[in-house]
Amino acid sequence: MTVATRAHFLSAFIIFAAVASCSWAAAADLPAEQIAFFESKIRPVLAEHCYGCHSEQAQEKGKLKAGLLVDSQQGLMSGGETGPALIPGKSSDSLLIKAIRHEIKDGEMPPKGKLPESVIADLTKWIEMGAPDPRVAAAPVVKTKRTIDVEAGKDWWAFKPLTQPGLPAVKNAAWVRTPADFFILAKQEAAGLTPSKIASKEKLLRRVTFDLTGLAPTPEERAAFLNDNSADAYAKLIDRLLESPKYGERWARHWLDVVRFAESGGYEFDGFRPGAFHYRDWVIKAMNNDMPYDEFVRMQLAGDQIKPGQYDGASATGFLVAGPYPGQITAKTVEKIRYDQLDDMVSTIGSGFLGLTMACMRCHDHKFDPLPQRDYYGIAAALATTVHSPSQIDLSFAETQKKLAVHNQAGAPLQAALKKFEAEELPKRYEAWQRDQLPKLQSTAPWQVFDVQSATAQSARLMSDRDGHVIYTGNKVKDDIYTIKVVTHQKGVRAFRLDALSDPTLPSKGPGLSDNGNFVLGDVKIIAKPMDAKNKAKAVTLKLKAAQVSFEQKGYEFAKTIDANPGTGWGVAPQMGKDHAAVYAIDGEAVGFDGGTAFEIQLRFTNFFGLGRIRLAFNNGSELAKIADAEDMQNLRELRVLSDAKAAPANVTRWFSRFDERAQQLTAAVTEHERKRPQPVLTEVYTTKAGGQDVFFLRRGEVDRKEGKASPNFIQVLMRSGDAEKKWVPPPEENKTAVHPRLSLANWMTDAQAGGGPLLARVIVNRLWRQHFGRGIVPTSNDFGTQGEKPTHPELLDYLASELVKNGWRLKPIHRLIVLSSVYTQSGEVNPASLQTDPENHLWAQRPARRLEAEAIRDTLLQLGGKLDVKMYGPSETSNESSRRSVYLRVKRSELVPFMTMFDAPEPNQSIGDRGNTTVPTQALAVMNSPFVHDLAAQLLNRIHATKPSSTEAVISKAYEFALCRLPEPHETQRMLAFIEQQTQLLGSKPDSARQAQREFCHALLCLNEFIYVD
Amino acid sequence: MFNDLTSNASLLPSRRRFLQQSSLGFGSVALASMLAEQQAKGAPAPLNPMALRPSLFAPKVKSVIWLFMTGAPSQVDTWDYKPELQKRNGEPLPGSDSKTGFFTTSGKILKSPFDWKQHGESGSWVSGIFPHLSQHVDKMAFIHSMHLKANNHAPASMELMCGDSQPGRPSAGAWLTYGLGTENQNLPSFVVMHERRPRGDDQIWSAGFLPKSYQALTLDARRNGVIDNLSRSTMESAAQQRSSLDLIKEMNQQHAQLRAPQTDLAARINSFELAYRMQTDAPEALDLTHESDATKKLYGLDNKTCEVFARQCLTARRLVERGVRFVQIFAGKNAGGDGAVDDVPWDGHNNIETNHRSCGAATDQPAAALLADLAGRGLLDETLVIWGGEFGRTSDSQGSVGRDHNPKGFTIWMAGGGIKAGVHHGATDEFGYKAVENKVHVNDLHATLLHLLGLDHEKLTYRHNGRDYRLTDLGGRVINEILA
Repeated sequence: MTVATRAHFLSAFIIFAAVASCSWAAAADLPAEQIAFFESKIRPVLAEHCYGCHSEQAQEKGKLKAGLLVDSQQGLMSGGETGPALIPGKSSDSLLIKAIRHEIKDGEMPPKGKLPESVIADLTKWIEMGAPDPRVAAAPVVKTKRTIDVEAGKDWWAFKPLTQPGLPAVKNAAWVRTPADFFILAKQEAAGLTPSKIASKEKLLRRVTFDLTGLAPTPEERAAFLNDNSADAYAKLIDRLLESPKYGERWARHWLDVVRFAESGGYEFDGFRPGAFHYRDWVIKAMNNDMPYDEFVRMQLAGDQIKPGQYDGASATGFLVAGPYPGQITAKTVEKIRYDQLDDMVSTIGSGFLGLTMACMRCHDHKFDPLPQRDYYGIAAALATTVHSPSQIDLSFAETQKKLAVHNQAGAPLQAALKKFEAEELPKRYEAWQRDQLPKLQSTAPWQVFDVQSATAQSARLMSDRDGHVIYTGNKVKDDIYTIKVVTHQKGVRAFRLDALSDPTLPSKGPGLSDNGNFVLGDVKIIAKPMDAKNKAKAVTLKLKAAQVSFEQKGYEFAKTIDANPGTGWGVAPQMGKDHAAVYAIDGEAVGFDGGTAFEIQLRFTNFFGLGRIRLAFNNGSELAKIADAEDMQNLRELRVLSDAKAAPANVTRWFSRFDERAQQLTAAVTEHERKRPQPVLTEVYTTKAGGQDVFFLRRGEVDRKEGKASPNFIQVLMRSGDAEKKWVPPPEENKTAVHPRLSLANWMTDAQAGGGPLLARVIVNRLWRQHFGRGIVPTSNDFGTQGEKPTHPELLDYLASELVKNGWRLKPIHRLIVLSSVYTQSGEVNPASLQTDPENHLWAQRPARRLEAEAIRDTLLQLGGKLDVKMYGPSETSNESSRRSVYLRVKRSELVPFMTMFDAPEPNQSIGDRGNTTVPTQALAVMNSPFVHDLAAQLLNRIHATKPSSTEAVISKAYEFALCRLPEPHETQRMLAFIEQQTQLLGSKPDSARQAQREFCHALLCLNEFIYVD
Repeated sequence: MFNDLTSNASLLPSRRRFLQQSSLGFGSVALASMLAEQQAKGAPAPLNPMALRPSLFAPKVKSVIWLFMTGAPSQVDTWDYKPELQKRNGEPLPGSDSKTGFFTTSGKILKSPFDWKQHGESGSWVSGIFPHLSQHVDKMAFIHSMHLKANNHAPASMELMCGDSQPGRPSAGAWLTYGLGTENQNLPSFVVMHERRPRGDDQIWSAGFLPKSYQALTLDARRNGVIDNLSRSTMESAAQQRSSLDLIKEMNQQHAQLRAPQTDLAARINSFELAYRMQTDAPEALDLTHESDATKKLYGLDNKTCEVFARQCLTARRLVERGVRFVQIFAGKNAGGDGAVDDVPWDGHNNIETNHRSCGAATDQPAAALLADLAGRGLLDETLVIWGGEFGRTSDSQGSVGRDHNPKGFTIWMAGGGIKAGVHHGATDEFGYKAVENKVHVNDLHATLLHLLGLDHEKLTYRHNGRDYRLTDLGGRVINEILA
């Protein structure tokens, strides 16, 4: 995004001025009530009714009228073509007032209709007041009552630089296992509390296995851990779990809540995004590889800039575009939808990365936190050039680049030879040819075959040969668009001919790419524009008529290629394996620009495969040519026109090469080499794409109330000096492109010294704590502002955040600090003293049992039944019956998986930091009655019997081991035996009643609180 | 959809978040103090955390039935009679603007193709597509000046139900159950019925950021309104299940005794007993076989054109009779062959006449029967019935005889407790194009709805991502003009 410095300054100025609360915006000497009057009564009117034709922006767009600018005090004072627009204190002499009172003939303003009398009265009053106008540049600070004091706001704990707190003194130092314990114990001791004792090994194993991997420990893992009596057995367990790929699957899912991840657009039609899963896979890999968190954030904000064209860069920025987006858009709604999309991105960035609630700032300054509206629009402006798209991304980018380098190197001498020839030999040879050969040559065929300049497709790989063929070479898909570019210097083009050619190399000889050789050409579009840059004529999309066709399939008629419905099209079944042709006549005047015409021919194939071999020709004779008429290459007639026009020899090589052996050899060598250009292996990734338009400040967040362009800048309260953002948003230097604004945002966000880094670090370590304990040190994970709750242990939070930054932003060391601590490993046993002193357990004198999340419940049920499919990555599972981990279930906004939402999986529409934890009877119904749970109980029993248990007691024991990671107490065994006996009796004389009774027992075990509440 | 057994007994902000999101610490202590506070307010104080929550002031109604006419009926072809439209068919529509519709309209007036008559003592005009409902106009309060912002189905449906056209906010049904709890612990409190799912899907009846306990239970007419997992597994007998549940309860109680008195453990023990009772109560509530033949005939169960909606309306009556708080039916059936899609049946872009005749025939008799039946059973006084679509339609034509979307003016009517019967509130311009008089915003509609249930829309809040959200956002005015 290159912005001229002056425009940059001006737009920034407008924004500053537009927010009454931006302290540096207001003029020096104006009384607050005058500014308030201007801001409430005058500026909105000027902006709404006048800026369209009388502002810097109107000027930039060439829409300025009468040379008058009313978007600055200077503009109004110096006035336009008819003099100053106003005279302060003299409303009746002011042109502005005369114009709006419609007292100037042909100068009635606004031209669309007279303003309401009350508005005219306000403007009059304002001029009588002396036209106080705060819109002057960089004036000193005047605070109005709505001003947000950003400097004062920096005193809020979360916005301060990271401290590196020392470890507090504790009495019971023996309890301490990691530094985290000092902070916990010091507070407990101060409150007269003592922590609970350390939990049993079995309980710890179950707790930490679920916390780190989301699955239950197996009996083998249990045995191994219980038998390991070494001092570091637990530490080794943690190492193993953190290295397990299941860790990434578990912790990626936590992150997906934060980033409102889904794979569809929501709203109407809820369009599925087949390439969206790559983001999920990228997160899992990032977690497993312990990608530094600052890089993790930078990649999500600007991966497409950091690693352009690369798979992981494209996958990572899937973050930005994962939000909802309507599936039906008209010109009337497109702008609001765009601002809604930006709002989704800004809010998710605010809540997810920084724990700041920014959604409200679309309409006004934050009501509670020191966040002016400008901060919101600054981030929105950094996202201005970001839209969403399914993109074809090279899976092995680096490899392809390497091959390309080799290829280009090999091709360089060929290019050089051609260049040398064009400079040294061609002119003479061309001249001689024009003199000796040209007069003798004839070309009169009605059809002239285009010598193709380029042929590309969204997916398919295409190449062209010197006989005008466009040839498919790989990567076919249903739904593709071929774009073929051709030129002619001739005029009077009246028709085009499309040859769909069969070929032995095509499936069933073609001409289509489907297995049976058919194709469906959905729509054809031809755009004509002048070749010569000096010709200012506009590009036109030609209106076409379906003139003639060799054959058309019933229901797939040729005319359907120009019916503006890509869903219908031309096919040729059952006449496959033959050549076909079709003729489009131009509906209207023949085409041909002075200086030559370039045609872009788009062939769109929808819901079916495309063509394998194509040739395109045109007709510019006096009569419309027919399919049966002869064809000839266009080259000779092009040369004749060029020769007549005395074109420079270098411009004719392409055409001339057909008549000159040496030229042909050299061009063929280049073309032949190009044909071998290494091709990337493309895959569809739903990600960001360059696009979009400037972002404007919106009054009350409404798109029809724009007020000046926003420019990228970030959260001021997190910066260490007033103009600090210049560090991240440098003005573009000469001959250098500016830093991409999203990269600036990413750099700012992860700058632990002067940018968003301190808060970024605090928010993420708090999320880790939250997932391990069920409540964050800051209980409101997504809100570190004044409306959130304050940290229970601020020093601990800063300690963890500092450690994170110090250790290169790696998360696994922080996990270790937490799960190896005594506070984490203590039991949930009730301590009567703490019940009195600390009923809400803020001081963590015990660690209560926690219910598993939806995914962990489902995954563990599958695991116990022996059904869990541990395959990682790839497209999402569309069936809820899938046996893969829940993180791989498709997240379609309109069809969320009932079992997941029932157990509080959030709706993926906004960032969620703290999932709910509800208990409702539908959950009980699901475990009591669903075939899913009953089936898995039966499978669990089968697994138990596979271990050849010697008795019913052994079955019970094994079941406990599988499901609860412990052996039953004797009284439990007795109770379960009695239950199995009772069930057997109820089942009566059925042959397998004993086994069925055991199945009922397994099912009951899966219904127990102990199963889904992990100690 | 069900009361959360753990947490929602509280509207107290300081404890609420702690309880809804965590199962830490000694929730029961918090719960006990909450119940004490409720007791102090005169509320019943059972030890059951699912207790019904008291209204802030005396409610006029207990339940709501919202008949959602999916796809948006045209105001000027249903309840908003405009003689000017009839007179000036084909003339340019004064004030017609290109921004109102969703697609492109002609700018030329399209008269209503239906016969209009006045009905009842109120003399209310009704188009000919409602021969049954027109008999009940004296029970209805009409709001002719509804308006909202979104001009496509999904965002407008969200705006109408959740107050905002972007997804993520809780819907009115979720807010109500959050605010009031439920009268019948053995049934869901928020039920949505549909045939083809309306455009916008779950997002229209979303619990948004509220706890999942306020999710709607959806009954899909294509699956005969089955509730998932409601029936006992075929793998076990009733006696086996009971024995199993006894075991689960016993083991869970032992487990809970050894742990901090966590309310969620107790709540889960309780949830199995509730689920067990639901197994019998819910099928009974949904079973229409014991309704009299006269009743079935009244609703039109025997009439193929309106059979589906008839079953849904009769089910709705049975549900509110049993204390269900909020029932919403997405209705309409387009058999007109005019291209309107099933998920937005009232969407008469191509032919307003065939479309609305068909949708009218599919909805008129059951809706009228519902009013009559509720009244006959004395239930109408404690129920609020709302009829309307997500927006209205343009007064100018789309194509030759269709109408485009129009969010700038449309009609909704309400009937039931607390409603001033027979009034017409607000008005569109003389062509029915835009609301001009006493305009009623969605926030106002919601404020009124909450008011009728005894809730103050400014006080029913929920803290999410740093902000206390309301159903009515920053707006909302109770429409006193339509209240008795």
